[in-house]
Amino acid sequence: MTVKKYLAEHRRLWLALCSVFFLVTAWELVLTYVFPVNPFFFTKPSLIAVAFKEQIQGAKLWHDLAVSSQAFLWGFSFAVIVGIPVGLVMGWRRRVEYTLDPFLTALYASPLVALAPMFIIVFGVGVLGKAALVFLLAVFPFVFNAFAGVKSTDSLLINVIRSYGGSEKDLYLKVILPSTMPYIIAGARLAIGRGLVGIIVGEFYAASEGIGFAITQAGDTYRLPDMFVGIIILSLIAVGLTELMRKLELMVAPWRATDEVP
Amino acid sequence: MASFIQAQNLTLSFRPKNRESVTALKNFSLEVGKGEFVSIVGPSGCGKSSFLNILLGLIKPDSGEIQLNGTRITGPGQERAMVFQEFGLLPWRTVTANVELGLELKGVAPTRRAERATELIKLVGLKDFASHYPHELSGGMKQRVGLARALATDPEVLLMDEPFAALDAQTRDLMQMELLQIWEHTKKTVLFVTHSIEEAAYLSDRVIVMSARPGRTKDILKIDLPRPRDYEMRLTPKFNEIKLRIWDVLKEELTSRG
Repeated sequence: MTVKKYLAEHRRLWLALCSVFFLVTAWELVLTYVFPVNPFFFTKPSLIAVAFKEQIQGAKLWHDLAVSSQAFLWGFSFAVIVGIPVGLVMGWRRRVEYTLDPFLTALYASPLVALAPMFIIVFGVGVLGKAALVFLLAVFPFVFNAFAGVKSTDSLLINVIRSYGGSEKDLYLKVILPSTMPYIIAGARLAIGRGLVGIIVGEFYAASEGIGFAITQAGDTYRLPDMFVGIIILSLIAVGLTELMRKLELMVAPWRATDEVP
Repeated sequence: MASFIQAQNLTLSFRPKNRESVTALKNFSLEVGKGEFVSIVGPSGCGKSSFLNILLGLIKPDSGEIQLNGTRITGPGQERAMVFQEFGLLPWRTVTANVELGLELKGVAPTRRAERATELIKLVGLKDFASHYPHELSGGMKQRVGLARALATDPEVLLMDEPFAALDAQTRDLMQMELLQIWEHTKKTVLFVTHSIEEAAYLSDRVIVMSARPGRTKDILKIDLPRPRDYEMRLTPKFNEIKLRIWDVLKEELTSRG
């Protein structure tokens, strides 16, 4: 009875756990008993687990992570600093919107990773080149979401500020930015995914360290378990950061979580 | 009587996107004395809200002039504050911070702001909700915050644009009584736009009935009920008679629009 009730209440969690467990077990069993594939060409969870343990205890993984994080943080921070103001002003000022729109739409729609070789040539193979690539990929969700947020700002609130003699700066700081915050954070969720792509692609092209480099290197040398360790760590980071954004969204916009009046 | 608010021949038209332009007000004139409570009723779209927005300084009339205390109104100002139908509270601010908004925008010092907000929150009966957010309040409570915010800046003229229209009937009755009490002791000049004849009759010294679009003054009715007014007064034959008089004027405008 109580177990049943517990399961009913937390079914989201335990269904998720079950599906992961089922997939991993099936993968392991199939590759062990049904198609015992040469470990040179494919791998299975037990081997990945061993590699995982080894890597966590070693120094190289942490060094690679530190190298990649540095580039990611630089690129992402600049995307925030540039993307949000550009989006806000674009949303508020028609003239700016019409001027920037063609470039932004074209750039947002195209596969920007195609520019990776150029970025590496211009900015080099170090932190700068990768950070620039992260910036390029991550800046657009900030611009477009900030823009959409401004467009959805309640015009009544604008009038309230104006009626008390508020200035243009007051409009930005007291209404437009706070009401756009949830949009910006939703944009950040997209930007995280795109920024990680930026890092990995940058390191695939040209690098001698970093998590993306570690993944290609493992792949090139047929160390498949090590390659999967890199992939799993990347997805853990992505999920962690995305969840963090979800929490942040509830923090800055608690009124969106509960719409009904008590 | 030297009038406190004087609107002369106001004309306002606007053009909705891809449509023909609409004349909201045409040669609309109105005089209001200091401390007077004046309600404006009229068919939907007759420009009553537009008039309040002109008075507030948010929109400019195409022609005509509007003066407050002998000075021409050209934009928003210290002496006027609006209570909005949909409250217009900032959802990311607590009750206190919302009430402080007007003072903050006028550059009042934080400590003074907080004192004043506490005072006003007490006046509208929300003392226990000072640190709540708007989404945690009922409609009536939200409008109390709206009223407190407007009163916080100590305006001479309080503009109210269908302030109780979004509330349920009982909350509405209650808010009307409280508004009267606040008005009796602050003696603000109030311009009150409403669709409710009952509300207009109960609250006002005078009721302006506006014509259908383009809005002009159709009739001005003086409400000679003694003050202070209480709820029971609304059940008297005299009150019904007043309502009927307003209705008679308004009826023609409503039917003429089809």
